[in-house]
Amino acid sequence: MSETTRAEATGPTAGATGVDAAETDSAAPDGQGGMPAVHPRRDRRRWLLWGALVVVLFLVPIYLPGQYLIVSTWVMTGAVGAMGLTMLIGQAGQLSLAHSFFLLVGGVSYTVLSSDGTDGFVGLGLPTALSLVLAVAISAAVGAAFAPVSGRLTGIYLGVASLSLVFLGWWLARVLPSIAGSTSSGRYADDLNLFGFDFGEKSPTLAILGVPIGQNERLFWLYAALTLIAYFVARGAVDGRVGRAWRAVRDNEAAATVMGVSVVRQKSVAFAVSSAYAGLAGVMVVWWYDGLLKPDEAVDSGTYSTAVAIAYLAMVVIGGLGSLGGAIVGAAVVFGTPLIIPLLSQGDSSAVLSSGGTAFSPVVITYLAYGALIVLIVLFEPGGLAALGRRLTARLKRS
Amino acid sequence: MLKIENVSVRYGRAVQALHDVSFDVADGEVVAVLGSNGAGKSTLLRAISATLALHRGTVTSGSVTLDGTRLDTLDPAAIVRRRLMQVPEGRQVFGRMTVEENLRVGGLAAEPKRRAAAKARVHELFPVLADRSAQPAGLLSGGEQQMLAIGRALMCDPVVLLLDEPSLGLAPQLIQRIGRIVTEINAGGTAVVLVEQNASMALQVSHRAVVLEVGRLALAGSSAELAASEDVQRLYLGGHADDAHETDAPARPRRILSAWKG
Repeated sequence: MSETTRAEATGPTAGATGVDAAETDSAAPDGQGGMPAVHPRRDRRRWLLWGALVVVLFLVPIYLPGQYLIVSTWVMTGAVGAMGLTMLIGQAGQLSLAHSFFLLVGGVSYTVLSSDGTDGFVGLGLPTALSLVLAVAISAAVGAAFAPVSGRLTGIYLGVASLSLVFLGWWLARVLPSIAGSTSSGRYADDLNLFGFDFGEKSPTLAILGVPIGQNERLFWLYAALTLIAYFVARGAVDGRVGRAWRAVRDNEAAATVMGVSVVRQKSVAFAVSSAYAGLAGVMVVWWYDGLLKPDEAVDSGTYSTAVAIAYLAMVVIGGLGSLGGAIVGAAVVFGTPLIIPLLSQGDSSAVLSSGGTAFSPVVITYLAYGALIVLIVLFEPGGLAALGRRLTARLKRS
Repeated sequence: MLKIENVSVRYGRAVQALHDVSFDVADGEVVAVLGSNGAGKSTLLRAISATLALHRGTVTSGSVTLDGTRLDTLDPAAIVRRRLMQVPEGRQVFGRMTVEENLRVGGLAAEPKRRAAAKARVHELFPVLADRSAQPAGLLSGGEQQMLAIGRALMCDPVVLLLDEPSLGLAPQLIQRIGRIVTEINAGGTAVVLVEQNASMALQVSHRAVVLEVGRLALAGSSAELAASEDVQRLYLGGHADDAHETDAPARPRRILSAWKG
């Protein structure tokens, strides 16, 4: 397996990437939190499928070339963020264009908490696993702090209000280089180190079936584990009382109120949960860039820009609002396409970087593709790819 | 049990919707609230369930108490936890959710140990909801949606149920059925405040009734008395008692009711 460096696969904006459609969303195919019927045999089959998926995910890094692993981990970053956003928009009915801001909050929090305070940077030097948990908690807390706005506004008004957070984050990151790093060189965070196992190990001493287990392989396992955990937590929320309360608020606020659902509180909870997912994705972004946290020079392009906020929105629309499986597929389309096209056509995703500005580069093709997909989905299948998948499955079962 | 004392309600700055309305609802009683359009019937229910804020309204004076606890100072969720449930006007089911999910939303505030029994009671009252549990609520007929709206509120095993125009837009046969359902619910020990424009049905199923006129309480008394009242007959029963079952009953002495004094 080739030990490709992560920078080789970096897209020009670092904001769009990814591939992977292994997710099947078998737990609740409606994506609306419908309770599946309890059936022991089906239940056992479902667990067997999940077990098989875990085995496959474990074996993938051993057989897949390094560049594909890099693309996969980037897709999983998008998938985690998109799952948070699809819960907020699709389940709770709250529009947010602030997802890239919460990516920044997660990334900055992790970097400050985990790194030492050297070279003029603020740092607490906490254990990396603790820093990860705290970074997610801080992102959720910042999302909850937006409650006075998120609890009272809906629709496009909330979308515009949340967009202001992206501008606020961009400005704060520029004026606080000791915290977020400078826009020219950024700052570095530590790799995750769990019980002595360094997930950013570049000179591997461990080998499985003769394959050295380096940074790409380790990060793939880590990202796959985080994505699975994020999925199951989200599934639990969507299928549980919280999800029902969100959907009640989404469908009819007045009726939800008379049913004893606190509308303002549920909207705030949804925003906080979504922010926590974005915060986790933000930490994954920092790891993906070899620990580099670098604020954007412009608010409309870069890792934490408005373009990324819209890319996340595109993921959940393409995947199908409210569908967790759809969010993962949407992440594969939006984040995966610009990296996978050059990999398949030229065997090297670094070609993404060398495409001319006016040429039909993979990034341009991706933007055109997901722009067209959004229009087609809104026109012909508002349920997104998830609904399309459900219809195809139903048709196959009938025939 | 439920006591409404001198409640006045205003929408915005200009519209005074209720003026010093007072009445009470005893344990296990059905009280009908009658009145024409704009009389303040729905406003009264909103004042009880503390949902006026959703309509930019506010209680300007008076109090609402349930077993001695002030409700008008609580938020709607806290009132639901005290098992006072409202079925809003126009059903307002969650159309994109299934029937089953609608019922589960109704049980969100219920104590876990009560949920199973409450659901069994709902399915007993409305077998059609069990048959259509996987169907989106938006695809149910109007009558079925009304049953779902009532069933959803019953998932909390309420001690007081506020019903806002349950017969609105339903066929006469279904209106009679809704009336029977109210009686059945009440037989289970739930007190009911029934806001209705169909005075005939409301007076049939209620023990007592109050009449609102332009935000003021105009008449109050037992349902039998009100049904016999010339004023009520003229204004709300089309000038005659239109119940089939009353045609064979001996004529009752007609009485003019005095206004409710609280």
